[in-house]
Amino acid sequence: MSLPLFFQQVLNGLAIGSVYAMFAIGYTLIFSILRIINFAHAAIFTLGAYFTYALTGSAFGYNGLLKNSALPIHLPFLLAAVVGALLAGVVSIVIERLAFRPLRERGADPLLSLVSSLGVAVVIVNVIQYLVGAENYSYPAHPYGNLPTAINFGLGTRRIPVRTVQIVIFGVAVVIMLLLTYWLNRTKTGKALRAIAEDATTASLLGINTDRLILLTFFLSGMIGGLSGALIGSSVSIAGPYFGISFGLRGLAVIVLGGLGDIPGAIVGGVVLGLAEAFVPAQYIAYKDAVAFAVLFLMLLLRPQGLLGGAQLQKV
Amino acid sequence: MAVFFATYGSLIVAMMLAAMLALSLYLPLLAGQLSLASPGFYALGGYVAAIISTRVVPFDSATQAYVWRLGAHEILRFPGPLYPVSLLIVEMLVASVLSAVLAVALGLPALRLRGIYLLLATIAFVEILQVVTQVLDLTGGAIGIFNIPQPFASQLGYAWVVVPLLVLSAFFVYRLERIRVGRAFTAIREDELAAAAMGINLTYHKVLAFTMGAVLAGIVGVISAHSINTWNSRQGTFDAGIAYLAFVLIGGSRTFLGPIVGGIVLYALPEVLRGIAAIPGLPPALAQLLKDGRLIIYGLLLVLGTIFFPQGLIRPNLFRRRKFEATRQVPGQV
Repeated sequence: MSLPLFFQQVLNGLAIGSVYAMFAIGYTLIFSILRIINFAHAAIFTLGAYFTYALTGSAFGYNGLLKNSALPIHLPFLLAAVVGALLAGVVSIVIERLAFRPLRERGADPLLSLVSSLGVAVVIVNVIQYLVGAENYSYPAHPYGNLPTAINFGLGTRRIPVRTVQIVIFGVAVVIMLLLTYWLNRTKTGKALRAIAEDATTASLLGINTDRLILLTFFLSGMIGGLSGALIGSSVSIAGPYFGISFGLRGLAVIVLGGLGDIPGAIVGGVVLGLAEAFVPAQYIAYKDAVAFAVLFLMLLLRPQGLLGGAQLQKV
Repeated sequence: MAVFFATYGSLIVAMMLAAMLALSLYLPLLAGQLSLASPGFYALGGYVAAIISTRVVPFDSATQAYVWRLGAHEILRFPGPLYPVSLLIVEMLVASVLSAVLAVALGLPALRLRGIYLLLATIAFVEILQVVTQVLDLTGGAIGIFNIPQPFASQLGYAWVVVPLLVLSAFFVYRLERIRVGRAFTAIREDELAAAAMGINLTYHKVLAFTMGAVLAGIVGVISAHSINTWNSRQGTFDAGIAYLAFVLIGGSRTFLGPIVGGIVLYALPEVLRGIAAIPGLPPALAQLLKDGRLIIYGLLLVLGTIFFPQGLIRPNLFRRRKFEATRQVPGQV
C-alpha cells in the first residue's frame, strides 16, 4: 500500500469513525445514567434526518400517506438541522415519559426497558415508512453553502482529498465530546447526573431532582442523535426509514469497544471501528458490513470492559 | 372445510412454526437471558435443508429420483417426485447438531458476562451470518437457493411434521419447567447471585438454555425452507427477532403456553387485520394502516405489553387463581 493511499484510508476511516462516534455518544449518555441501552436512539437519529429534510422545504416522494407534500417553509440546511435536532430531542423526551418512566417507577427489570425501547424504535421506523414511503431522500444541493465539496490534504501531485462534510462531522463530534465531558465532570448538573448514575435513590434523597435530570439526559441524547442523523444524511443521503437502524447496530459494536457508558471511550471506539472498516482488504470488501460485529465479538471475548476501561467490580 | 384448509393450509403451518420460534426465544428467557439469536439459527437450519436437498441429494429428473453421489459413485437413491421424509428428518438432525455447536461457541464467551452481553452477541451473530450467507457461493449468494423440493403434496401436508414437533417441544418445555434443570433456570432468572450461592453453575445452565433454543430454531428453519421453497439471507434478520420477541412477551414469558399462544395469535393477526381492512367504508388511511402496519402494531404491543402486562397475557396461575377467588375474603388485596 503506497503512502498516499495509506493516508487516504486513514482519513476515510477517521471520517466514517466520527460518524459512528457521534452515534454512540447518544447511546452512551443514556447508558451511563440509566444502565439501559436505548434502542429507540437509532430511530431518533432517523427522525432527525427526516425532520431536517422536511424543514428545508423539500417534497416527499411517491409513496406513503404524505406523498407529494412539503412544508411551506424553506430553511437553510444548517438552521433546519438545528431545529430538527431540537425536535428530535423533544421526541426523545416523549419517549422517556411514555416508554421508560413507567417501567422505572415500578422498578422493573432493565431488560423490559430495553424491550420497550425496541418497540418504540419499530413503531417510529414503520410510521416514517407509512407516512413518507421507503425511498431514498437527498438534501438540497450544497448544504454547507459556499464551502468547497472537498479539501486536499496532500502535497503537489499527490492529492488526498477529503469531503468537507466529513470534516464537519468530525469537528462536530469532537466538540460535542469535549462539551459533554466538561459538563459531566465540571458542572453541578453534571455532578448531579453522575450521582444519579451511582445510585438514583440516594441521589434523590440528597435533593437531586432525578426525574428532571433524566429528562434532560434524554433531551440531550435525542438532540445529538437528531443532529448526527441530519449531518450523516447530508453526507450519504437518507437511505429510507431503516437508515438509522444499520448505524444503530454498528453503534452497539462501538459502545462495546469503548466500554459501555464511557463517553471518551465511545469516540475512541468509533474511530477504531471506522479505521478497521477502511482497512478491509479489497478482495474481502463484501465482508465489510460484518467487521463491526466481528469486532464486537472479539471484544466480548477479550476485553468486555472496553478498550479504555479498567477492571470492573460487579455490584450486587 | 376442504376449501378452508386448502386456502389457509400454509398459514396454519406457519402459525405453528411461529409458535415454535417463540418457544426457541422463550427457552433462554427462562434462564433470564434475552437473546435475539433465533433468526440466525432459523436461517442456518434453512440453509442446511436447502443445501442438502438441492446440492447433496439433488433431484434427477431423468429417473424421477433423489440421488446421493460421492464423486462418480451413487450411494443412495430415493424415489421421487416428492422429497423423502426420512431425508427431512436427517436434515433436522444435521441442523440440530450444527446449531448446538454454534450456540455453545457463541454462548460460552457471551454468557460468562452478566447483563446485556448475550443480546449484543446474538445481534452480532445474526448480522454476521446475514453478510456471510450473502457472499458465499455455497449459500447461493445474494439471490439465495431456489426450488427446494417439497416433501408433501400440499402445504397442509407439513402438518404431519409440524403438529407432532410442536406437541413434542411444548411437552419438552412443560416438563423442563418442572424438573431440576428448569428450576435452576428459573432460579437464575429470579436472582443470579442467590442461584449461584445455592450451588447452581450459572454459565452451564445459561449456555444450556441458550443451546436448547438454538436447536429448536434450527429445526424450524429446516421445515420453513421446504415450505417456502426458496431460501436467502433475508430470512434471518434483526426485525424477525423482534417479531419473535413480541410473540413471547405479549403471549407470556412465565409459562410455556405464553409463547405458543402468542406465536399463533400474533402470526395470524396481520391476516385478520387484512380481513378487517377489506370491510368497505373504512377511511383509506386506516385501511392502509391495518393492511401494512403489521410492524407498527407489533411495536406498540411491545411497548404497551411491557408496561401494562410485564408477564404477558398468559400467566402461570391464570387458570389456577379462579378457584381461590370465590373463597378469598380480604378486601383490597389483588
